[in-house]
This record gives sequence, C-alpha cells and structure tokens, in this order.
Amino acid sequence: MTLSDEETGDQQAWRTLSEAGLVEIRLEEFGEKIRDVKRLVTVRLRELLDLDTSIQERESAAYALGTLKGLELKVQASVPEPPDPSES
Amino acid sequence: MKSTVQQLRSEAGWPPEEGEVISFKSSTALETATLKEVRWGLVWRDFILEDGRVIPEHRVSGCPRPQVWRKIDEVTDSEREECEGRLLSMAGIGLDPRERDQPFWAELNQYLAYTYLRYKGKVSVPELPR
Repeated sequence: MTLSDEETGDQQAWRTLSEAGLVEIRLEEFGEKIRDVKRLVTVRLRELLDLDTSIQERESAAYALGTLKGLELKVQASVPEPPDPSES
Repeated sequence: MKSTVQQLRSEAGWPPEEGEVISFKSSTALETATLKEVRWGLVWRDFILEDGRVIPEHRVSGCPRPQVWRKIDEVTDSEREECEGRLLSMAGIGLDPRERDQPFWAELNQYLAYTYLRYKGKVSVPELPR
C-alpha cells in the first residue's frame, strides 16, 4: 500500500466518523451515539447469527453489544435531574 | 496499545516529547499544558497531560494533516477486550463519561468510533443522523 493510499483511508475514516458525529461526541449526545452504535452492532450480530460464521466473530459482536448496553445504562443513570419547577 | 513518546515519533518534530509544553484547543479556548505521555487509542493518538486530561491528537496545535490513524484490523482482540473492560470498570466506579477531556470521556469516544468503523462496512443500514 502506498502512502497516498493510506492517507486516503485515514481521510475516509475521518469523514465517516465526522458524518456520524463520532470524532468528538458532544456531551449531551453520548446516550444517542451509544444507541446508534448499538443498533449497528445489533444488525451485524443478527446477520452473523443467520449466517454460518465463526463463533469468535459472533462472540465478539455479542460482547461489544453487552458493553454498549452497560455503558448506555450508566449514561442514562447519570443524566442530571432537570430542575423541579415547583421549587421556583 | 501503549507506547512511549519516543517510540511513537514517526516524523520530524512530531509528536512532541514528554515534558514539552503543548498548545491545544479546549472546549472554550486555546490552552497550553505540559505533555506527560502520548498513547495510541483504538483509532487515534491521545495526548495525556500532566494534569490528567486527555486530548485527542487532532486538537493539538501543529498536528500534521492528514493525521495518521490506526487501521481497524490492527487492533487485536485482547486490546479491544481490555478497552471494554476498562470502560465497564470506569462506569462501575461511578465516573461520568460526560466530563470532557477526562479518561472515561476519551476512551468512550475512541471505543464508539472504533466500533462504528469496525461494523459500518459490514452491514447495510442507513447512515446515522448527523
């Protein structure tokens, strides 16, 4: 692979992540981005289960999904409570 | 994968050396701080500052363009699993990933970016909304 090929690959990755809002995630968007990535992994895991693929790849996708679910729960749990309007 | 600054030097003058003062873009302004370490994440390099903050390479002044990222296939299974373990540990002890430029924020950013790049090319799903 030539240097220019590598640069093109990196630039494509940058553009892909930028378009998905995943280069630097806005603080208020973590929950949404985790759900987006989780959805992607879920689709892939379904495909892997339908196909006759290696167990390792299926396990890897399943573990990623579990990690994302755990992180999503954590982010949901740490969302600050909105101010109570009755106290104002 | 973790390397010393010296091991990562790939082109003249970049990345800066440990102990150098670097400029970077924070959420509010251009700041300066002392570099403690440069470390590869799953996708890009992170600059670890003496005060514990983690700054992605693309926010550091003087970063060559285009910057060099890892290929997804370069990340080993054990490296990915270690990253997943660290993330769940940080979540488990109550760290908040929304504390910008902190280790949990930095690692979760990279993990989501890596996972997206890893699976994006393998399934036919609609583009994520911007």
